[in-house]
Amino acid sequence: MPAYQQINEKMVEVTLNNEEIFAKKGAMISYQGDVAFSRSFLAGQGIQSMAMRAVTNEGYALMAARGTGKVFYAYDGLFVTIIPVRNETLYVESDVLLAFDARLTAGTMFLGNQGGVQGIVRGAVSGQGLFTTTFQGNGEVAILSDGNAIGLPVTPEVPVCVDPQAYIGHTGNISSSIVTDLNWKTFVGQASGESYQMKFSGSGTVYIQASER
Amino acid sequence: MSTVYNPGNLPSNDNLNRFSFVIDVKDQMFIRKGKMIAFYGGLSFEAMGTSIVDMLVRHAFNAPKYIHDFVVVQGGGQLILGDNGNDLACYDLDAANMTVRAKNLLAFTKDVICQESTLPGFLTMIGTGKVIASSNGPVHFLELPCRVDEQAVLGWADCPSPSYRYDYEHVKGFVSAVGAVTGFTLSGEEKQVDFTGSGTVLVQSSELGLAGSGVLANIISQLSSLAPTELSMLGTSVQEVMKQQRR
Repeated sequence: MPAYQQINEKMVEVTLNNEEIFAKKGAMISYQGDVAFSRSFLAGQGIQSMAMRAVTNEGYALMAARGTGKVFYAYDGLFVTIIPVRNETLYVESDVLLAFDARLTAGTMFLGNQGGVQGIVRGAVSGQGLFTTTFQGNGEVAILSDGNAIGLPVTPEVPVCVDPQAYIGHTGNISSSIVTDLNWKTFVGQASGESYQMKFSGSGTVYIQASER
Repeated sequence: MSTVYNPGNLPSNDNLNRFSFVIDVKDQMFIRKGKMIAFYGGLSFEAMGTSIVDMLVRHAFNAPKYIHDFVVVQGGGQLILGDNGNDLACYDLDAANMTVRAKNLLAFTKDVICQESTLPGFLTMIGTGKVIASSNGPVHFLELPCRVDEQAVLGWADCPSPSYRYDYEHVKGFVSAVGAVTGFTLSGEEKQVDFTGSGTVLVQSSELGLAGSGVLANIISQLSSLAPTELSMLGTSVQEVMKQQRR
């Protein structure tokens, strides 16, 4: 299986042993060994997944690296975090996706399935659209963030509220809802500017970045 | 956590933190314009081409395209350099040569000879002394052989000049070939800088966020060799690129 190793905060190394890895287009910065690159549409997934991505605008441009050797990935000087996925589902936005491999099943999820109307509102508020990308199985996903990605643990006793624009993804058995703080001040332009929050409850981890999109 | 520094407790020829570097200036050095953030002592900054430093420049600075990017610092004192929050590192050359991306070259001592590399946008440093360069994220050193995306090459040392390698292996099937022509199936990773032999390659995360006039100077210097028809073709492609960047 492809081994992920963090080189520094902005660079990740993946060791391939006659294997394949999928990464954001243009993210490969160097490689050693016998590795070939090609545009990937299926990304190790089925046709249905590809069609789903195409119609939902979660159509991330991916390229596949295949062979034996080491590949180094980095993107735009953004910070890289390797998120382990252990028999659970990781939800991330497709634009923060750096690299993953075929051990994980990628899918596209309608936010409405996850939190009903609230989920749709969340997508609209955070500017992420109505769909998000999911990964299921056992493996690793490398994601990008502006500043270090911060993992906030969520337990049934301690839910967490985050700014929708700072949210980058979450894992575990978590449900999200929108908390609004709309009152008369909002409408006369005297609001705090923090009128919408996403509240995550359940058990798992929420990832945020120290930057608002 | 936040130390207050004075001339007595500043590090000597070492990093102050990841993003700034302190140089003990004894006589003369070259530094990139605008990268001085503070200094102690009596230092003066002279543009190159002025008579006082001309003798030095003639010997050490052999890259006329970049002459306006650098100044000579003279005197004695402690000079602090910084570059827009990029990581700084110092490389000690000992009768060696090292090539760095011109945009990332911040300073070098006067015994190091600076010449233009055959790869445009890079400068080759030859001799014995210190070279200070910035990078986006910490520098990663790679052993040869390896292939590196052009944007991520910070520099290389002790190895033959690199060449370009085009990876068109996947353009074999008919669909791929059609796609490649239209740019549809390209992976964005078709062209890499290929390093062979032995030595070290310096790799950074991205070249974003560094301004320098080197690339522009390179293009302008070659314009005189173009025919009128070629110039108008260049104008068209400039507009094409501008259109794409606006998107």
